[in-house]
Amino acid sequence: MEAVNVLTHPQIPGEPTQTSTTLLEKATATIQGFGPVNKIHQHLCAFHFYGHDMTRQVEAHHFCGHQNEEFRQCLIYDRPDDDGRLIGIEYLVSEELFLTLPDEEKRFWHSHEFEVKSGVLFMPGVPGPIQRQDLEKVAKTYGKVFHFWQVDRGDSLPLGIPQVMMAMTRDGQLYENLSQDVEKRYNISFAKERENRAYMTGPAHGIHPMANGGGQGLQTVLREVECKPVGVDHSAARVFV
Amino acid sequence: MEAAAAEQGGEKIPPGKPMSMEQHMLDKGAQMLQSLKPVKQMNQHICTFALYSHDMTRQIETHHFVTRLNQDFLQCAVYDSGDSTARLIGVEYIVSDKIFESLPPDEQKLWHSHAYEIKSGLLVNPRVPEMVVRPELENLAKTYGKFWCTWQTDRGDKLPMGPPVLMMSPQPVNLGMVNPDLIVKRDDKYNISSEALKNARIEIPEPEWINPQADYWKQHGVGFFIDVEATEMKKIVPFP
Repeated sequence: MEAVNVLTHPQIPGEPTQTSTTLLEKATATIQGFGPVNKIHQHLCAFHFYGHDMTRQVEAHHFCGHQNEEFRQCLIYDRPDDDGRLIGIEYLVSEELFLTLPDEEKRFWHSHEFEVKSGVLFMPGVPGPIQRQDLEKVAKTYGKVFHFWQVDRGDSLPLGIPQVMMAMTRDGQLYENLSQDVEKRYNISFAKERENRAYMTGPAHGIHPMANGGGQGLQTVLREVECKPVGVDHSAARVFV
Repeated sequence: MEAAAAEQGGEKIPPGKPMSMEQHMLDKGAQMLQSLKPVKQMNQHICTFALYSHDMTRQIETHHFVTRLNQDFLQCAVYDSGDSTARLIGVEYIVSDKIFESLPPDEQKLWHSHAYEIKSGLLVNPRVPEMVVRPELENLAKTYGKFWCTWQTDRGDKLPMGPPVLMMSPQPVNLGMVNPDLIVKRDDKYNISSEALKNARIEIPEPEWINPQADYWKQHGVGFFIDVEATEMKKIVPFP
């Protein structure tokens, strides 16, 4: 079975950016501070699938920054290009932090051991020995991913509700056409890298049984709730307008 | 100063050991070798306010780092402050009214309008002179946004917990009014006055019409929540 190649997908609807808009935004880019974004130092390529449907798989380009040694926050794009679509978010935590989570919460998080050791999670452009110094740490972490834009089903806009995503935990899950496409594009071999990463180990306490959906599929559902009544009527308290 | 910004009530959010020198060097190395193109496309910082759609008494100051993909579409990484220690709390997509009108009504319910937060001076581009950003504000005033929050740092969550929640925008009606204390705190930090900006923005045209499916709570009194259900995963091989 083949997965859809998102690189061939239709453009986002809309007019091309006007010159005046581009110039204005060049100005704002120069004047303003981009502190939180400047912390993003790393590009990781991996694959996700939908928490309720392993047959829908997505190539995911993570752009990550460290909050501290044990916590990373990543923006996920469908392509590592100027016009890449921002499709999701991932948080990575150390095993220590993961173990502090309530069991109900652990379900959302997936283990990284297999992704790293199999070679499919990698840092484009970074030589093997350097990558491995970081990835051997990543192998022990857990990740929580939501996607907001289902590019794999051809959505040209971010429609619908957030999706819980999961990642590969054993051989045979990742579609060969997806992995071969990436290997060709980046001129790498996952099999070779797997050999190089054989020394790595996963979480010290083993992969927690509540991680990876707790062994079940996870599906999001939208529910309408009554608007919580406000205690203070702020319009009365406002001085202006 | 930065370390203090990361703490709330004495507890670090998120918890964890400080970055090791080794990790700093690995990061620097990667940064030199990798191009990080999509992230370099962010060219605006917007500071505004948002409300939880399922509990509009909870209101937050937000910091959007915005990339424009075309004249009708923007995508934003949203943080809880403008500092380098800021936590990534969600994603917002912004579309022109033209694109919004093309969406199915059920989809439109998840979106909010931007006209009020711009006209009222709540939405600002820190450090940018008002006149420079005026054309962009006129454009944004006619747009609609869809904002998912993935980390509720305002209620003290040390790590991102639970499913994403849908956020709404400030509106000039009871539940949508932003707590003045929040506004004052933000204004003081950037040495601006939302009130003054509101006066300066009187000339910004109001949209002729705001689609009633947007800001759904105004006419329907409901917000939205995302439930997560355990289900049988469609598989090709066993998981995990």
